[in-house]
Amino acid sequence: MAEALKKFRPYVTWANARGAWPDMVFSTRVRFARNLADLPFTGRAEPRQLDGIRRAAFTALKETGLFPRGHFLKMESLGQLEKGFLAERHHISHGLAFTALPAAAVISNDEDLSVMVNEEDHLRLQCLGSGFAIEETLNSALKLDEALGRRLPYAFSGKFGFLTACPTNAGTGMRISCLAHLPAMSRLGLMPQALESLSRMGVIARGIYGEGTCVLGDYYQISNAACLGRTEEEFRVNMDRVIRNLIRQEIAARETLLKGHAKLHTEDAVFRALGVLRHARTLSYGEFMRNISLARMGAAMGWEMGLDFSTFNQVTLLMQPAHIQAAAGRALSPEERDVFRADSLRKKLL
Amino acid sequence: MKLCEECRKEAASVFLTLAVNNKVREVHLCSVCAARKGVWQGTETGAFNSSDIVGNLSGYFKDFLPAERKALRCGACGLTYAKFKQSGRLGCPDCYQSFEPQLTELMLRIHGSSSHTGRTYSGPGAPPPSRAEAARRAATLKTAIQEAVKKEDFETAAKLRDALKQLEGRDG
Repeated sequence: MAEALKKFRPYVTWANARGAWPDMVFSTRVRFARNLADLPFTGRAEPRQLDGIRRAAFTALKETGLFPRGHFLKMESLGQLEKGFLAERHHISHGLAFTALPAAAVISNDEDLSVMVNEEDHLRLQCLGSGFAIEETLNSALKLDEALGRRLPYAFSGKFGFLTACPTNAGTGMRISCLAHLPAMSRLGLMPQALESLSRMGVIARGIYGEGTCVLGDYYQISNAACLGRTEEEFRVNMDRVIRNLIRQEIAARETLLKGHAKLHTEDAVFRALGVLRHARTLSYGEFMRNISLARMGAAMGWEMGLDFSTFNQVTLLMQPAHIQAAAGRALSPEERDVFRADSLRKKLL
Repeated sequence: MKLCEECRKEAASVFLTLAVNNKVREVHLCSVCAARKGVWQGTETGAFNSSDIVGNLSGYFKDFLPAERKALRCGACGLTYAKFKQSGRLGCPDCYQSFEPQLTELMLRIHGSSSHTGRTYSGPGAPPPSRAEAARRAATLKTAIQEAVKKEDFETAAKLRDALKQLEGRDG
């Protein structure tokens, strides 16, 4: 089974809940879309060109010195389970998992930096940070971008900025995202309205794994919609304002859930959820996410859940389907996964 | 019982919540249609090819991109404008020049602006600055030199002068 996964640690620093507002923001991500000059974009390039890009990217990334003991993974050498694991850790997109082209993922040893090679763009650089940490994460991502840009010729124009396969990414090529956990707003039915108002602030909300993915466990990935016409700093300031605003709304919603008669129902829901997590004998990922979301909120409200936020986050990562199978050491049927998930969770919570 | 919203025949067994275009949307499909639409790793992580389920992004481009004569294509990679409009993906960096007027219009719609103001690229093979850009940079440098001289910071002034020389040398 999955040799490549053995070198990955069970815990990742960007999920350690040490950043600001860990009960509302799981992690922060900044990515840059970059392409090499004088070559067709991935979708129109020949396999031999893509192979050359991959070789050049590996060499340049090694030279930056930012990936000591890092993972340099060619997609064709990975099985479905390994790809699923990397997608669940937000290192690769589903597009990259299914590509038949010579693509790759390069991931730093502590998994805060990763680069997708020959996804829709030749290079997708990303940096992950723990909690609400836009500024630090952006700075690390910029450092990687600059180090790589000195070694590889980027496609750039004075008018349109960094050139990308899809015009929605051109300009700065930058996407800042925060994985926000908004259980109280969801519970009060405030999300449709909140998402509506996000559009007016130049921000989009997506599901937990990014574009085209489901909302699970009340997690929303909030990112800047536009990336051209303003500076990186202006986009950062706007995102910072939007996320702080969302945090304020979530705090207010949590207060509403603790007021008067509502408190009993909230407490009841939270402890029932904890009961399911502690005692279930079979637990699907969807059911796990619904319940851990409530338990996480309960912990934020000061109730004894028996776990700190760092453990909550790590457990959330470890209970994902491919992670479960990596821990089991083999592919499992959905039913087997649900039993394995309930068992390993019980061991952690009791 | 809810019917699959795709085939409208089988009972829906896959229920997904999506956030698309800042709207929360419920999608319900039967297992066959869900599999056909590329629901990945079962429905557990809920990840799948959204463009297929929620209507293709290209609809977006079709609406926003101006109509153009059929023959328009990129001289470098051969991508036709019609194909770009359909797929929403450009073929190569040169496409940005080949379709510049159309892209300018599209960029205004999607980003609210059509010109980059963020960081510039100065790595290997970076394009020389345009005349306007070079003039703007030269003006900034001249002001900085005057200020440095005023402060009697001649070392900085000398460095700035070198930078100015280099910039002007490149132009001529």
